[in-house]
Amino acid sequence: MTTFAIASRDELWLRGALTESRLMHGRALQRGERIEASDARDDRLLRACDEAMAAARETIAALRDARVRAVVRATRENDAEAIETTMTLSIGGVSVVTTPPDAMHDFDLLRSAIAIQPEAAGDSRPIVWRSGSAAVLLHEAIGHANEHGAPAVAWPGWLSVDAPLVPRRQTFRDVPLPRMAHLIARQSDAPFALPEERIEVLLLAGGAYDPVTDVVTIDVAVSTAGPFTIRRPRAEIAASLAGAFGEPIRYPGVICSREGQELYVASHAPVMITT
Amino acid sequence: MNAYRKSGRVARYENGVFIHVQETGEAFERDGVFQAQPAVDEPAQTRVSVPHLSLEAYVAQTLLSVQPGTMERFIASHGIATHETNGVTWTEESRRVHISLVKRPLRALIDLASFDISTVVNIASALARAGDERDAPRRVRLAPNVSAALLPFLIGELAMEQTGGGFDGLGQPIETRAVTAHPPPNWYRPGYAVRPVRAWMNIRALPFGRIDPNAPLAVALLAPIEGTSMKVLCAGGDDVFPATLDAAHIAAVSRDEPVWYPFAAGSFGVEMML
Repeated sequence: MTTFAIASRDELWLRGALTESRLMHGRALQRGERIEASDARDDRLLRACDEAMAAARETIAALRDARVRAVVRATRENDAEAIETTMTLSIGGVSVVTTPPDAMHDFDLLRSAIAIQPEAAGDSRPIVWRSGSAAVLLHEAIGHANEHGAPAVAWPGWLSVDAPLVPRRQTFRDVPLPRMAHLIARQSDAPFALPEERIEVLLLAGGAYDPVTDVVTIDVAVSTAGPFTIRRPRAEIAASLAGAFGEPIRYPGVICSREGQELYVASHAPVMITT
Repeated sequence: MNAYRKSGRVARYENGVFIHVQETGEAFERDGVFQAQPAVDEPAQTRVSVPHLSLEAYVAQTLLSVQPGTMERFIASHGIATHETNGVTWTEESRRVHISLVKRPLRALIDLASFDISTVVNIASALARAGDERDAPRRVRLAPNVSAALLPFLIGELAMEQTGGGFDGLGQPIETRAVTAHPPPNWYRPGYAVRPVRAWMNIRALPFGRIDPNAPLAVALLAPIEGTSMKVLCAGGDDVFPATLDAAHIAAVSRDEPVWYPFAAGSFGVEMML
C-alpha cells in the first residue's frame, strides 16, 4: 500500500499583478492496481505550501516585466515529504523555468536571449548547444526513450547520463508513472572543436519523443539562426553527437508533460555539439 | 461573476490502474483575479455517487477484443458531477474513452463519449490490415468519429449549428443557434479550476449534398488534426491505407442521426464526404 498527499498553489502574475490563483489539495491511497483519491486537506502540507508561495512572491515582485507562473507543490509520498517551487518566466512568448534562488539570473538570461538577432535561418550547420540546452535533447532521446523501454542505440562512449526513473504524479487524481527524477549529462574526455560555421542554441520551446516512430522532435526558441525545429530518428540524434566541453550546466527548466501530467525535471548538460 | 461549484466522483481506468476520485471545487472572480480552490466544507450528503461496474466491464471487454500488444494507451472514465452557479444547479453523467492503437509506424487515435466496443474493434481490425500510405482519394467519406474531430476546425467555414440543451459554464442555457465566426454566446468550462472561455458548444454540421457510399471511408485519425490537414486511416473495398487529406472542402454531410463526441466544447459526428 502506498499513500500520497499533496497541497499545491499555482499563481499567474502578469506585469506584477496577480491574475489567476489556484489551490489544490488531496490524498490518494493505492493498493495494488487500485487507487482511492479525494480532495482531503492535509494542514501540514498546506502550511508548508503557503509559506513557500509567500517566499516566492517576494521574488515575483522583482519580475514585473515578465509573465510569471509560480507553482508550489508540497507532497508526502508514504513518509517522505518534499516541497518544490518552480517559476515559469515568459517574455514575448519565450520561456524559462526556474526556481526562486535562480530566478533573477535566469530572468537576465531570458532578457539577453530574446535580444539576440538571428544571423540566418536554420540550415545544416553544426549546432552548439549552450546554456545546458543539450539536456533537453537528451531528456527526449534518452530519458523518455527509457520510460518507454525503447531499444538501445549507440551513444558516444564519452557521454554518461544520470536520469533515474521513479514513480511520480502531478496530482492526487493521477496515476503515478515512471518519470525522470532529474537528468544530468556528463562528458569525459570528449572531443571538442568549435566549428567556425555554427548555430548556437540557447533556449528551447519544447521537445517530444514518439515511442511508435522512435523520432525525437526539438523546438528551438532562441538561437543564432532564430527559431527552428529538429525532427530526427533517435539513432541519428545519437550519431550526431560530435563533442562536448566542461561541466554540466543547469538548463533553466524543463516542465515535462506525459499523459497530461506536468512535472518539473531538473536538467543539466555540458556544452555539446551535434552535426 | 457568481461562484461556480462542482462536486463529483469519477471512476477511471488508466493503462492498468483503476482510480476513483471524489472532489468538490469552486471558482470565482474577485477584483479581476480568477480563483479556484477545493470546497472541502461541502456536506457529504450532497456528494454524488458513480457506478463503477459498467466501467470495469467495458475495460475487460475492450481488452479482450483487441489484439494484445497493439494498445498503446487506454483511458476510460465514468463520472457524475453536480454543477451550481448563478442560481442554477444541474447534474451531468459522462463517459469518456481515449484509446491509441499502434501498428508501427502508425497510431490510430480513438475518442468516444460512450462505452462503445464496436468502433474500437473495427478500427483495430482496419489498422491490422493497413498497407502503405497512398495519395488522398478524389472522394473520401469521413466516419462520424473522424468528422466530429474536424468540425471545430471548420467553424466559420461550414454551415453548422450549436445544439440546444443543458447549461454552459456560467449556468446559462445552451440554445440552438447558427454557428458563425462571431464570438459565441456561451461559455465553456472544462474543469472548475479552468477560467471559462467563450465557445460554440455541441456543434453539428447541417446536412446537404449526397454521400457516395462507394467512396473510401476514413475510419480513424492517425494524428491530431492540424488546420484542415488530417492524416487518416482509409478503408475502401479490401484495401486499408493511410492518407493525408485536405478537409477544406466538404462535399456532403449525411442526414443520419449524429453522435456526440468529446472534441473541443462538444461536437456531433455524422458521416461527411470530401
